Amino acid sequence: MTVSSDIGLAPSARPGPVPGFLWRWTGERILWLFLAGAVFIVAIVPLLYTVDAAFYRETRVGLSAQRSLQAVLNVYTGSEYLGYLALAMLLAVLVTMLSVAIGVTMALLVGRTDLPAKRVIDLLIITPLFLSPFTGLIAWIMLGSEKTGFINGAISAVLNTVGLDPGPLMNIWSFGGVAWIMVIFFCPFAYLFTVGNLRAMDSSLEEAARMNGATAVQALVRVTLPLALPAIVASGLLIFILAAEMYTIPGIIGSNAGFTTLPWKIYEDSTVFPVHRAHAAASGTLLLWITIFGIWLQRRITRRAERFVTITGKGFRGNPLPLGGWKWIAILWIAVYVLSAVVLPFGALLLSSVMKYTAPALTADLFTLNHYREIFALPSMRQALWNTSWLAVASAVICVLAGFLISFMEVRRPSLATKSLAFMGVLPVAVPGLVYGIGLLWIYIQTPLYGTPWVLLLAYVAKFLPYGVIVSRSAILQIHPELAEGARMSGATGLQSVQKVVMPLLKPTLIAILFFVMLMSIKELSASVLLYSQRSQVLSVLTWHYMDAGNYQFAAAVGVIQSLMMMGLVLVTRAIFRVQIEKALVK
Amino acid sequence: MTCIRRFTTGLKAFAVSAAAVALLAAPAAAQTFPDPSDEAKLLELAKQEGKLVWYISAPLEPMKAVATEFEKAYPGVKVEVLRIVGPQQYQRFMQETQAGQHTADLVSISDRPLMESLAEEKHLASWKVPSHDRLPAQARLGTAAYAQYVSDSSIVYNANKVTPEEVALLASDWKAILDPRFKGRFAVTTQKCGTCYLALHMFMDPKLKGTYGPDFVRKLAAQKPVVYSDVLVVLDRVIAGEVDFAYWSFENGAMARWRQGAPIRWVRPEPTPVAALVFQGVSSHAPHPNAARLFQNWITSEAGLAAFQARYGSAPLLAGSEDLRDVRKEPWYKPITKVYEPDYDRWAAQYDKDMGFWINLIRAQ
Repeated sequence: MTVSSDIGLAPSARPGPVPGFLWRWTGERILWLFLAGAVFIVAIVPLLYTVDAAFYRETRVGLSAQRSLQAVLNVYTGSEYLGYLALAMLLAVLVTMLSVAIGVTMALLVGRTDLPAKRVIDLLIITPLFLSPFTGLIAWIMLGSEKTGFINGAISAVLNTVGLDPGPLMNIWSFGGVAWIMVIFFCPFAYLFTVGNLRAMDSSLEEAARMNGATAVQALVRVTLPLALPAIVASGLLIFILAAEMYTIPGIIGSNAGFTTLPWKIYEDSTVFPVHRAHAAASGTLLLWITIFGIWLQRRITRRAERFVTITGKGFRGNPLPLGGWKWIAILWIAVYVLSAVVLPFGALLLSSVMKYTAPALTADLFTLNHYREIFALPSMRQALWNTSWLAVASAVICVLAGFLISFMEVRRPSLATKSLAFMGVLPVAVPGLVYGIGLLWIYIQTPLYGTPWVLLLAYVAKFLPYGVIVSRSAILQIHPELAEGARMSGATGLQSVQKVVMPLLKPTLIAILFFVMLMSIKELSASVLLYSQRSQVLSVLTWHYMDAGNYQFAAAVGVIQSLMMMGLVLVTRAIFRVQIEKALVK
Repeated sequence: MTCIRRFTTGLKAFAVSAAAVALLAAPAAAQTFPDPSDEAKLLELAKQEGKLVWYISAPLEPMKAVATEFEKAYPGVKVEVLRIVGPQQYQRFMQETQAGQHTADLVSISDRPLMESLAEEKHLASWKVPSHDRLPAQARLGTAAYAQYVSDSSIVYNANKVTPEEVALLASDWKAILDPRFKGRFAVTTQKCGTCYLALHMFMDPKLKGTYGPDFVRKLAAQKPVVYSDVLVVLDRVIAGEVDFAYWSFENGAMARWRQGAPIRWVRPEPTPVAALVFQGVSSHAPHPNAARLFQNWITSEAGLAAFQARYGSAPLLAGSEDLRDVRKEPWYKPITKVYEPDYDRWAAQYDKDMGFWINLIRAQ
């Protein structure tokens, strides 16, 4: 056996550095070089351009050739930009904490307890992923507006019958409203990336805790949750990053509610004449440092990998914890979530898509199917459907494979080279898509790729590869090296041990990443809006154009089509990979 | 940082080289075109090119409909529409031009100073359309670009929320907004755009300082308007009934929603700011130059502007052409009687300052 084919572990390997990794011309080194080159070109070069753009004097439409520190000084030392940053961080932290709390609670209930109808509940919990937050905003404006929202209207109607008039109880046009919409859409991420790990855990530790007098809840909190820490921290980091860079919802609502967050300011600086591109780039670097800190924190929390190993070579039992009398409270908790995150927003979106215009009360003459007829008559719609579909599949496959390989090398072959590659792969997540899009545009405009859907594929891979790296890393950490070692001792090659042992164990996580990246690609807007052309229309940009033009009903109709497409893609994926995603997630 | 600088310097050197190569690769001799009035020849050449790429700022749906009308009129010439709003379109077009990636045949930007800048830098081809002399002076930028419609400032109201007496009061004078009965009932936007600035440009006009001026704008902000990020979000909120009226919106935006049956109407106090804000020109580097010129001819013709009237609800622009819009038959509809024409030099000089003043006032409330 030569080392050149040894992607798995050598027979005597344990987690820890393998001396001389980069000093031998091996298959691993060739793979590393290929991945490092690809990641550098696809992900790092646009990032370097973005950072560099912060150090120029601005013109009214872009950057001059003259260097200047003015934008960096304004952003890093001025109270205006730091104030926007503080609000963005407050929102991101609030959204992350609430999303993780709700998502992990549901994952615990599904993954570790005897909750009934888990398959249906699984699907319902992840259903908000099929809705873009951007189109979800349309639904929540209909539902939660102060004077004309359906929720306030329904509550008033009920209370008025008993002589009460409490006034509007909900106002989506507020800081709390922004947090509410974002929490609803980010909860499934926390659930998706923790439930697989929770289900795969050996229940003997919980049972030991129970035998020592702990209640079911105490066993979950004191034993199960700490073991799931890598997955929880990874999902929290993803949500934090997504929340910190989101500009659409805080921007549209914030202008009314009287607050501005940094991503919205970046959007304004990038697009509103006269543009402040250096300020936008400098603001992007502010978010970059914060995300790098988050990644460092995640690494620090999970630095002792063996503490989180829950899948070993030994057999394990997965007996669920009995909920007893708490079962109905748990079902009620999930039902309230499903109502808020699935039934109401999807219902409102569907309703909006068949309304002629926004109206507080529903009458028969308000409804029409013309929006759908007109949309499907547009050639750009058919093109957008095709582009969105293949871009989602292609970017997801690339991100899963590359993310797994990068993380596997980092965890099983820790060295400066593998850690640097993992760091490069994760870095683009820290940059707001809009600022990143400017970098990508500048780079690819020099190439024949410009104006084609391929440039969008490169953008999506660059943007979503970090998710493949971060999430697969947390899953790899939980698989003890002894499993691959056992396969090697039984005569398998390194590659075979990865193929036959490691990959099947990681299958739920890899499918989850595939699923996640597909959905993120379909919903991606911030880079797409800068890079698309008449030959590379995608659905998210089409939705944006309708919303931007004030035609919320057309935007809702495209949003419905987008959601149906996401669901369809999941079914196609299931057929191709012969994996039922909802089962894969909870195995 | 030094490495980054070297790298990006190298990158830019590459970009400049690429642009230079692209320019060298371009035909050395200037291309000649048929006479603008020779439609048959132009059509023949346009058919050989087969298509054109039209960059637009206006809403996608009506513009696609306008493009379809052109395709019906000139079979064999397809129109590919790409929507990129105002300054973004300018940046994109300039970046593409500098990189030698000539994609756009026609650019249409909702910012007159930016279009003037494109014309001055010769990025727009000189093409005198056959209807040149019938178009008003404010709809022409020499022969480099033409406007297809004008924008106005209107007070758009929800007919279920504002009484006829209040409508009459609002229609009588822009300053009627200061009446205490309107406090907190109307919406404005802090969006930066030509249409959003139009009324503010008049209020901040030094010549009208005695009538409006900064004091009036301050009093307006003190009326506690509801603020939205986008002028079209404002319209949607008026339609929904969340706010009673939009203090300054625009007829074209309101028209599409009114045609769908939304319960909105609009009034325009005197003087009414009216301006040509969206100009369209043929790119000097158009990859389909004949098709682009044929389209430019058509869209500024009686037929093209009628398509704009029908699809976008814009008022007729050509001298002597009839206003065919159905809204004119409505009893509540009043045509503009006294126009306020912007001073475009002051517009270019004061836009940032005036918008900054307005945004700060609103944020301070």
